[in-house]
Parts: sequence; structure tokens; C-alpha cells
Amino acid sequence: MKCIEGRALLAFVAAGALFAVAVGDEYLLHLCVLVMVYTILATSLNLIVGYVGEFPLGHVAFFGIGAYAAALLSVKAGWPVWATLPAAASLAALAGFGIGAITLRLQGPFFVIVTLAFAEVLRLIAGNWVSFTNGPMGIAGIPHPAFVDLGGFISGKRGFALIGLALAAVSLFAAYRFVYSNAGRAAVTIRENRYVAQSVGIQPWRYALFAFVIAASTAGLAGAFYAHYLSFVGPEVFGFSFTASMIIMVLLGGKGTLTGPVIGAVAVTVLEEYLRETKELRLTLFGLAVMGVVLFAPTGVVGALHRRLARLAR
Amino acid sequence: MELFAQFLANGLVSGTFYALSALGLTLVFGLMRLVNFAHGDLYMVGGLLGWAATSQLGLGFFSALALVVLMLAAAGWLVDRFCISRLRDQGEEPGILFTIGLSIFLANTALLVVGSTPHQVPAPVPNEPLLLGPVVVTKARLFAVAVCAAAITLAHLMIQKTRLGKAMRATFQDPLAARLAGINTERIYASTFALGAALAGTAGMLLGSIYVAQATIGGLVSLKAFVVVILGGMGSFAGAILGGLLLGVAESLWGGYVSTGTVDIIGFLLVILILLVRPYGLFSRRAERA
Repeated sequence: MKCIEGRALLAFVAAGALFAVAVGDEYLLHLCVLVMVYTILATSLNLIVGYVGEFPLGHVAFFGIGAYAAALLSVKAGWPVWATLPAAASLAALAGFGIGAITLRLQGPFFVIVTLAFAEVLRLIAGNWVSFTNGPMGIAGIPHPAFVDLGGFISGKRGFALIGLALAAVSLFAAYRFVYSNAGRAAVTIRENRYVAQSVGIQPWRYALFAFVIAASTAGLAGAFYAHYLSFVGPEVFGFSFTASMIIMVLLGGKGTLTGPVIGAVAVTVLEEYLRETKELRLTLFGLAVMGVVLFAPTGVVGALHRRLARLAR
Repeated sequence: MELFAQFLANGLVSGTFYALSALGLTLVFGLMRLVNFAHGDLYMVGGLLGWAATSQLGLGFFSALALVVLMLAAAGWLVDRFCISRLRDQGEEPGILFTIGLSIFLANTALLVVGSTPHQVPAPVPNEPLLLGPVVVTKARLFAVAVCAAAITLAHLMIQKTRLGKAMRATFQDPLAARLAGINTERIYASTFALGAALAGTAGMLLGSIYVAQATIGGLVSLKAFVVVILGGMGSFAGAILGGLLLGVAESLWGGYVSTGTVDIIGFLLVILILLVRPYGLFSRRAERA
């Protein structure tokens, strides 16, 4: 399992690099950037949903914190991109530690809603604290990384696609190392049976918090990258639509696997773009698709593949 | 002091509205362990149907309300029977994801059908101010409070006094034992979800006559209802009422004395604070099962 997943992730990164280098179309490269952002976000959410087994509905909080951190640090303090990205990830990790330490004491629906409450509080603060975040007008003019504007082969959208790919690779590697470490196995034990985990000396809160902090920092990284890409952030980065996309990607792809969220991110981004043709009907169909997946493919694409493979092996 | 009394009265009025909006959510959660993210959208559908029935079809307020209740109960029953029943006993996640999908579907279908313009359900009583000692309340609001109280009492009596209500409570306590005692739990679940949807629709139509009925309102209503339910303790009937009043008064005082722009924040701060101190809500006993 470890071998297959590692190779599948490597194949994804290689395919992404090939795509970014070979394709010249601006629109396709834009899609590639979006896929990378969502790959990081879905992988990050999956660490909590799939391995700790809790359901955070406010994971977008860390995405937003990362985006605002990058925006404020580069616009108000003049930091360069190579400094804002790690700073945003660290700030998001710090926030993850604080929020996780509080929320992970709760389980089930209470955890679900208190995480949502944190995301909403942050959204309201971002929208109302005008002197700091510029309120609903947002922060514009976030600089691009210097080489993107130089105009060589790796400039413009292709440059962003490659940065996104690099960040996605870093996040996937972090997730991979976590999942196949003792901490990752401990987290799975907590997911499977909290009481058994405690009886063998695993402290649920501690290991869940560890996963939470890693997930928060990668989500913050995605937020910072997104802010630099759009060169604008507003309170919408704390919006529920990002959360909904992340959840759908993780569950559609298959939670608790490393490849699932990647497949989900690619599939949902492409599906959303494809449905754009149907304009107003798009989100209606999207809602129907989500309901259909829950009812008819509850283990996601990867789960269905597993079952098919197991049947073939027999 | 007079200002305080006025804020308090406003808070109690909107608190009653919050209580009714959250009642369906807390019932569905308490009895079915289902976190219903489509609750706010059922509220929205109730409001828009009420608007369509009164100002488009020309029905009276109460006959339109009866129609809304019937339609939403039927829709809730069907959704439970054909969809949610397949997700039972699979933990919380499938239910959460399904209702998020339902919420996206309902909100955008409503947007397609009636657009995003706000509509007002015509109130059966005029919107005149009424002086009660030092405080002023409009007649329309007072009427809505009365209907809220009636709806809450009816729901309470239904759960406490009828055979169906008794079966619901039995199913809540122990589904297996309820089945052994000859209760058709599938029917109970469907009725519970139908009741939850009907309550959401009632709240939507009634409050559509005070505020507005609009296709995009569902998300905010769901969030507020969650706040109320968490404050009171999930699944607790009295908790939902107290939680609603608490939220209404807190918001009104915050809006009056601190700032109106950040009113929505107070509910979430309350939730975070209360869950820190009492992780299962203010009025619910800790229940943990292995």
C-alpha cells in the first residue's frame, strides 16, 4: 500500500510537471494552478477527516489566515514571496495549534460546529476590521514572485503552475511522511477506536493536534500561494464555498487514502469547469452530484477501485 | 434604562424567532443524530412557498401556512424515505455531506426559479407600533411571536402527549429496544424529518412576513440555528428555546451598546466560550458511549 501510494503521488507530480511545461494555453495553465491549490487543500483536510476521523467544517480558516498573512506581509511590510510563503504557513500552523487545542477536546457534531464557528468569526473579523484588513474591499496589489513577470519560458501562468506544483509536492510529501510515521498510525488507531487507542497509551488529543497543525500549515501555504496568484484577497477566502469544495473532493476521491484527495481535486475542478457551460444550472447539478455520490459511491473513487481490485484478485 | 428595556424586548422578540427557526434542527439532531445542513434552505423554501401562495395564488395567511406545512412535511418524508434512510448507521459524515449537497441543490434551484430578489410575505396584521409601557413593539411582530409560541407549544404537545411522539422519544432513547417493542423505527425517522422540515418551513414563512424570504438566505439561517442549538444543547427542546432567547438578547444588547456591524460575531463567540466550559451545551447532560 505504501509503495503504491508513493508511486501514484510521484506519478501525479511528474504528470503535473509535464503538463505545465508542455501546455502553452493560458486557460489550461490556470486550471492547472487551481488543481494544485485544491490538491493541497484536499490533502490537508484529508489528514483530519481521513486519519484522525473528525470532521472540521472550518478548515478554510487556515486557508484564509495564510492568504491574509501573505497579503499583509507583502503589501504592508514589503516581504518578498520566498519569505511570505513560509511565514504564512507558520502563522497558520500557530493558529492551528491554538484552535486545535480548543476544538479537539470536543468530538462529533460539537467539533464540526465549533470549527465552523471559528471560521465564521475570522470571516467576520476580516470583513469588519477595516483599519487592518481593509474590510470588505480586501487587499489588492499583492506582488507576484519576481521571475513570473520577467517574461522567459517559466513566466506568467506557467511560472505559477510550477510553483503550485512544487508546493503541492511539498504538502503531499509532508502528508505521506505523516501517514506512514508512528504518529500517523497512532492517529488511525484513534480514528478506528478511541478507547482502544487510549488503552495502549496513545493520547488522542495529542496526536490529533499534531495532525491538525500539519494540516493547518499546508492549508495556510495554499492560501498564501492563492493570494499571490490572484494578487487580491477579500473576506471571501474564509467563505463556506471553499470548505464545501474541499469536503466534496476528499469524500469523492476517497478519504483516508493519500491518492483519493488528489483524484478528487482533479475531478471536481474539471467537473466544475465543464459544468460552467450550463451556467445557472451549474450549482444545481453540482448539489445533485454530491447527493448522488453520498448515496451511491460512499467510499469514493479510490474505495470503489479497491473493491474492484479485491474482486479481481480473488 | 428605557433604552435597555427596549433592547431587551427586541432581543426577546428576535429570540423567539430564533427558537422557532432552530427547533426543527434540534429535533432532527436529537432524534436522528443527523446534523442537517439543509435546515436553513428548508426555511428558505418555506418562506418562498409562503410568498408564492399568498401574493401569487392569493390564499389567506393561515391557509397558505397550512399548505406550506403540508408540502414541506411531504418533501421531508420523501427525502428521508428515499435518501437519508440509506445513510443511517454510517456515522455523521455521510449525513453531513448529503445535507450539504441538498442545501446547495435547494439554494441554487430556488435562485433559478425566483432569482435573488427578496420577497415579503404579506402579514395578516398591520405593521403599526404598539406601546407597552416603556417599550415599543410592532403589531406584526407581536403576532409573529404569538404564532411562534403556538407552534412551539404544538410541537411540544405532539412530542409529549401523542402516540407518535412517545414512539419518537423511545426511538431516541434506544432504537433497538424500540424496534423490539414493535415500533416501526423507519416510519418514526421519516416522521421526525418531516416534522423538522415542516417546522423549518413554518419559521420561514412566518419570518418571511417580518424580514424577507430570499433564495440566498439559507446559509445564514442554518448558522444561526446551529448557534442556538449548541447554546441550548443539541437535541434539547427547552434548550433550543432558551438558546434562542439567549442569542436574541445577546445580539440585541451587543448591537445596541457595542456595534451593529459585528452583531453576527457574538453568537459564534458565545458558542466557543460555552463549549470551552460546558462541552455538551448549557442544558444537556454529558452522554458518552463506547
